[in-house]
Amino acid sequence: MPQNDHQHKRRTLETDGLTPNPRAAYVELGVTSCFSFLYGASDAVDLAATAWEQGYDALGIADLNTMAGVVRLHAEATKAHIRPVIGCRVALISGEAFLAYPRNRIGYGQLCALLSKGKMSTPDGEWQEKGACQITLNDLAAHADQIQLILLPPENLHDLAAQLRQLTRRLPTLRHIAASYLYRGDDRARINHLDRLARRFGLSILATNDVHYHAPDRRPLQDVITCIREKTTIDRAGFLLHANAERHLKSPSEMIRLFADWPHAIRATREVADACAFSLNELRYEYPEETVPQGQTADAYLAELTWAGAAKRYPKGISDKVRATLQKELALISKLDISPYFLTIRYIVHYARSIGILCQGRGSAANSAVCFCLEITSVDPDLNDVLFERFISEERREPPDIDVDFEHERREEVIQHIYEKYGRARAGLCATVIHYRPRMAIREVGKVMGLSEDVTSALAKTIWGSFGREIGAKEAEEAGLDLNDPHLSRAIKLADQMIGMPRHLGQHVGGFILTQHPLIETVPIGNGAMPDRTFIEWDKDDIDELGIFKVDVLGLGMLTCIRKAFDLLKAHYDTPLELASIKEGDEAVYDMLCRGESLGVFQVESRAQMNMLPRLKPRKFYDLVIQVAIVRPGPIQGDMVHPYLRRRAGKEPEDYPSPAPEFGPPDELKQILGRTFGVPIFQEQAMKIAMVAAAFSPEEANQLRKAMATFRAKGMVSDHKEKMVGRMVKRGYDPEFAARCFSQIEGFGEYGFPESHAASFAHLVYVSSWLKCHHPDVFCIALLNSQPMGFYAPAQIVRDAQENGVEVRPPDVNFSEWDSTLEPIAPGTFAVRLGLRQVDGMKEDAARRLAAVRQTPFTDLEDLKTRARQDAGSLRRLAAADAFRSMGLDRRAALWDAAALKDAPNLPLFTARDARDEGAETRVALPTMPVCEHVVADYQTLRLSLKAHPLSFLRKSMAAQGFISTETLVRTHNGEQVSMGGIVLVRQRPGSAKGVCFITMEDEKGIANLVIWPKVMAAYRKVIMRARLIVVHGRVQRDADIIHVVAERLEDRTDALTRLANDPMPVPLAHADEVRRPVPEPRARHPRNVRIIPKSRDFH
Amino acid sequence: MERWQKWAAQQGSAPPDDLPLALATEGAHGPVIHANNRAARLAGMRVGERVVDMRALCPDLQVEQADLDGDWRALERLMLWTRRWCPWTVTDGADGLILDTTGSAHLFGGEAALLREMEERLAGLGLGSQIAIAPTWGAAWALARFGPVRAICPGGQEAEMLAPLPARALRLEEKTGLLLHRLGLKTIGDLAAIPRLSLTRRFARAELDGNPLMRLDQAMGRASEPVSSPDAPPVFRTLARLAEPIQDPTPHLPELCEALCAQLAGEGMGCRKLRLTVYHTDGEISTIMAAMSRPSREARHLERLFEGKLERINPGFGFDLITLEAGGVEELVIAQHRLEGGPKDDLDLVRLVDRLVARFGASAVTRPTPRASHVPERAQNWQSAMAAPTTPVSPPARERPLRLFEHPEEIRVLYAVPEGPPAQFIWRRQTLHVTRYAGPERIAPEWWNDRPGTRLRDYFKVEDQTGRRFWLYREGLHGDGRGGAPRWFLHGAFA
Repeated sequence: MPQNDHQHKRRTLETDGLTPNPRAAYVELGVTSCFSFLYGASDAVDLAATAWEQGYDALGIADLNTMAGVVRLHAEATKAHIRPVIGCRVALISGEAFLAYPRNRIGYGQLCALLSKGKMSTPDGEWQEKGACQITLNDLAAHADQIQLILLPPENLHDLAAQLRQLTRRLPTLRHIAASYLYRGDDRARINHLDRLARRFGLSILATNDVHYHAPDRRPLQDVITCIREKTTIDRAGFLLHANAERHLKSPSEMIRLFADWPHAIRATREVADACAFSLNELRYEYPEETVPQGQTADAYLAELTWAGAAKRYPKGISDKVRATLQKELALISKLDISPYFLTIRYIVHYARSIGILCQGRGSAANSAVCFCLEITSVDPDLNDVLFERFISEERREPPDIDVDFEHERREEVIQHIYEKYGRARAGLCATVIHYRPRMAIREVGKVMGLSEDVTSALAKTIWGSFGREIGAKEAEEAGLDLNDPHLSRAIKLADQMIGMPRHLGQHVGGFILTQHPLIETVPIGNGAMPDRTFIEWDKDDIDELGIFKVDVLGLGMLTCIRKAFDLLKAHYDTPLELASIKEGDEAVYDMLCRGESLGVFQVESRAQMNMLPRLKPRKFYDLVIQVAIVRPGPIQGDMVHPYLRRRAGKEPEDYPSPAPEFGPPDELKQILGRTFGVPIFQEQAMKIAMVAAAFSPEEANQLRKAMATFRAKGMVSDHKEKMVGRMVKRGYDPEFAARCFSQIEGFGEYGFPESHAASFAHLVYVSSWLKCHHPDVFCIALLNSQPMGFYAPAQIVRDAQENGVEVRPPDVNFSEWDSTLEPIAPGTFAVRLGLRQVDGMKEDAARRLAAVRQTPFTDLEDLKTRARQDAGSLRRLAAADAFRSMGLDRRAALWDAAALKDAPNLPLFTARDARDEGAETRVALPTMPVCEHVVADYQTLRLSLKAHPLSFLRKSMAAQGFISTETLVRTHNGEQVSMGGIVLVRQRPGSAKGVCFITMEDEKGIANLVIWPKVMAAYRKVIMRARLIVVHGRVQRDADIIHVVAERLEDRTDALTRLANDPMPVPLAHADEVRRPVPEPRARHPRNVRIIPKSRDFH
Repeated sequence: MERWQKWAAQQGSAPPDDLPLALATEGAHGPVIHANNRAARLAGMRVGERVVDMRALCPDLQVEQADLDGDWRALERLMLWTRRWCPWTVTDGADGLILDTTGSAHLFGGEAALLREMEERLAGLGLGSQIAIAPTWGAAWALARFGPVRAICPGGQEAEMLAPLPARALRLEEKTGLLLHRLGLKTIGDLAAIPRLSLTRRFARAELDGNPLMRLDQAMGRASEPVSSPDAPPVFRTLARLAEPIQDPTPHLPELCEALCAQLAGEGMGCRKLRLTVYHTDGEISTIMAAMSRPSREARHLERLFEGKLERINPGFGFDLITLEAGGVEELVIAQHRLEGGPKDDLDLVRLVDRLVARFGASAVTRPTPRASHVPERAQNWQSAMAAPTTPVSPPARERPLRLFEHPEEIRVLYAVPEGPPAQFIWRRQTLHVTRYAGPERIAPEWWNDRPGTRLRDYFKVEDQTGRRFWLYREGLHGDGRGGAPRWFLHGAFA
């Protein structure tokens, strides 16, 4: 199941056929868009389109205390040739509300600073909560001299005169009072009253329709969101709703008719709009200048650093190839004026290195020679093809894209450093707009409409799995819902309108905006839900629209793991290493990978990847790049895996179709696809085919790229297909080949994997494989100490290490630290001592305290308690985890002793009294604990057991029943009927596998892989979802070295596990298990990661 | 669960037994299953698991909200009901009852017979049960849950009877249970075998439910645990035993009411229901009910509620016993409204309502309550006068006519098309000229309530040449696509 099926594609206006409107006498200024969350019911596209139809030439936007929607309105209005008038509706905590329209850039800066103040701190100067905005009259007065203010009068006009007296004195730029004709019955009287008041204070009234939606038929949706906001239902909302549907965008002529008696109110709108000279186009992005030393240009400094770096990277001299690449890249960078961007990233990376944080860049611009020399990436351009200019095209002028991954445990340090270095006024995280998705929409609408929980969940379920944005009528009927019921169909229609509406602002995972001038004068900044995070109100698309660059600071678990491994290697093996210094081309490493032994290795540890490794047989770095990219929904669905494997194995000839000779060189495709044997694997290759073979202009290719992401959701395929296939045929390609090329592009859909990312990841794959191959002990410890990360649980990591000949020792109070450690066995060989972090419920500080005072071994629990100041709870946890063996106490004895210890203050007087009360302790002979109970208790407290595998206790009975072990499985032949039992490790149902479910199970000898076809899955659904100990009857399927058991019958024998100790036994499932942790989890992640690698668990 | 099934059966919506059904309560991470039926148990639904997880396993699981307070109240009622067997009963946890049957078992033919009778009677209520008799509370708890069916533990045999039961049968919390399990002390027998001193050393300071020693003592009868039976709520009832059968209870009524009110006053209570029961000489029983909109204990008032009702009793051969019982007993605090202590005036209205209801039935007497709706005729509701008054909502400040016609009257209006105000209209065959107007106030249909195609209304306040003020509305707009030309109606008149 792909993860982001329900992601809403941003709607935009089709630009064709729109001509500028003539100047209208009236400008609507009181527009509330859907970014006034739960107030406005129309988005920028609808508003702009309606405004254009009605003949507006300018349109204001004034969302409630936010600027979040202005960029979208700016973009859409500009497309419709309407001048966007940027403003905001400012509501004070004292209740007054204003429309605020800045006259110019300064006024805009004031407005943003005002909102930022309200969002970042409370009026008392405390840290403001996320989402709140508190502005006082004093704040407004201090920020308003370049802002035109329009007072929005309250419902009740009794106190207005007194209020106006104060407001006009405090706010000299308050020139207008808003008046609306909303068919309230007393509109004429009200407007006359306002008019009189305004004259009395030397102001004027200003006409506005208080627009909440673009057309009257949006009123139901507005009513529904009002109910959501007020947490009520539509039947109970009553007077919270508006009486009529008049708050829509009315045409200028209609407004002039309504205000025929007050022409000055109409004139005022035009005057205000004309006085707003500010446009968002004026916002110019300026890079922070700190990164460049005084008196030097950014370009020169970048070149200087690059060449210095190159000299360091290539101590033996820079090769001609690299030199040429560097020169080319530097020229391009300086031409595009983006040197400061590289310098900024270099600075952040440099800082992270200086405090010992591992990091690595990736992304389109990252795989350049410049980035290698600046030490942003570690992929050597000399050994690999770098693809820089493919990603930064001169024509597109799109911002370069470099993401930097940091150790996930220490990323916060980097983030806080950036805040500190640039100040919160100049640095902010990017926002992510959270949109209503179908399930959420139907749930909330259903609640408001008073539908029962059962009906809404049934409705929500029907959307589950359908790709479209809309709630399918057919599916609803399948779920037994009567769509003829008007109430239900109304709810569905409303939910449909609501899908894609913004719901709230979230925080981007790590996209930083850094500016030279205060950022709060460019965009309001608010506080995040996480402590010490501040973020701006615009999301990634908005920033792209305005040409602002962001720096992605992301966290990657594997980097934490690698750093820990490097530390251990340095400490114990005396081999200092860094990412770039591991030698490429180690045969042993590739041998290991070819055997499919990749547990714990970055990116290629998933089951599908493990199965692919023996087939692909990677022998060099570039093979890893392909390995990373090929096991993805894109290539799998585009059916590119098998052709690639066949061609690689030489079973099928490579062929490169060529165009008719008059159109170009015959090997034009070979240049693109040569490295991948003529099969497009990467996203860029597909794009390049379109550009070269179908002669798409960069602009067209860009459109295709964007369309590619939406192919599934919308039926836009045919246009592009005609265009691309048509052109390829015209250029002399075989029509069949052209169609296949296009369907391959289609197959990529949203899941094509860019080569640049693959190359960066492949480097980490190689580094982690190298560690696993040469230092399995170190690698095991690093993985354990970086948990939770990766696909596998500690039990599986430990087991894998044991299979690789590493001795693993249990946690013990006299030997273990908090982290797992290496213990010398003989010179140069070490055993893994599990850390106390494996003990369930153990606190880090308690463990560290214990390790700190352990100069001499602890002799008994009393000693431990007094010396290491442990509380009774920790001691009991340690005892339950059997960590006292070195004292000669087994689990039961330790628990018995631990139970006798109390947390009471250890004053001698009281100890003595205790003793007197109860008398001397008599030894009690507790029954000895059978091993199987020990194992169960180990699993309960450590989530793994070094004593035995639970299945070993069942083996005798299983063997008698004819079950074979995984050891025997290796000796079976293809098609043989087998019965096996094992503990379920992972259950996966990849979206690309057409409903096939994969289970990995484990017994005391090893691991077996089960394949479950959909039919069997349907029949044994409960067993599969529930069983911890599963029994399978099926047939063996062998392909090369890969053995699968195709399940025919399954049984849940968890009861046998429970019987081991008459106690439920928690079996550690791998992190990647999809039943316990369903895949489409709505967690905010880096959108790019979500798109490319839906299944990876490494990103936090 | 069984309580819910019975309720559902009463509602006529009980699902068939073979459909999985579960009751859920709110847990920390979404709803969790609180109870389930047999089909759900067979489908593998487990109590305490999250509903979402269970739904994934069994997609057709039906989930209903559990009513924990209701369960608790039902258990309390059941506790009082079980006083039929012995005088001392008490609830135990959320799902148990403890009965002290000391000295009462022989009334039912011995302990075994008593247990059978209990099980039958409870089954008659539609409730399943697990029952055991033991000399101590703890032992009975353990045997009922972990022991054999209808276990009876004779005095002095607690140790033998309990020994094979698991340690957690001692009413211990889960953590302590796990600890004992890990220590290998799996049964009560194992635990009892450990020297007392060692246990004291380890558990002396623990709370009761984490203290196996104290629990053990309780179960073995070494520590006392008396059943402190709560009092049943007082019953307010007066009765008149008559020496001779009579035909008409009326003369006895004042006396009965006085006595009942005196009882109520003694407890500071008032009642909202009355039940008069007469016991005929031939064994027949007739009952008459009366109800009040507010709790009361005024004898005269109560008495008058029976006016005209007593005739309905068919006296037959006469009756010799009359009882008057108070129901719906609530606390009634006397409020002094005036300094000199006179009664509050509006009490008369309350009494009138009570008497009218007593005469004509609860559905015949209604009172208007405001309702939050923009549509004028929906802005009020008629509610039974006996229902508790609702808190009024404050409508937006718009002037509404004093008199609103139940059915708007269609009128013919001269007005400037399309949206002009009315200039002249014909109402009830008289032509009225509009001299002044205010409006329009536009009220759109309630889209969630009204038929599709309902038209919006533009209300105008108008004044005619003689100064009378009316409330008119035009239904619909020209070209709104919902029918032809707009029609006009007169909806109300201002004072």
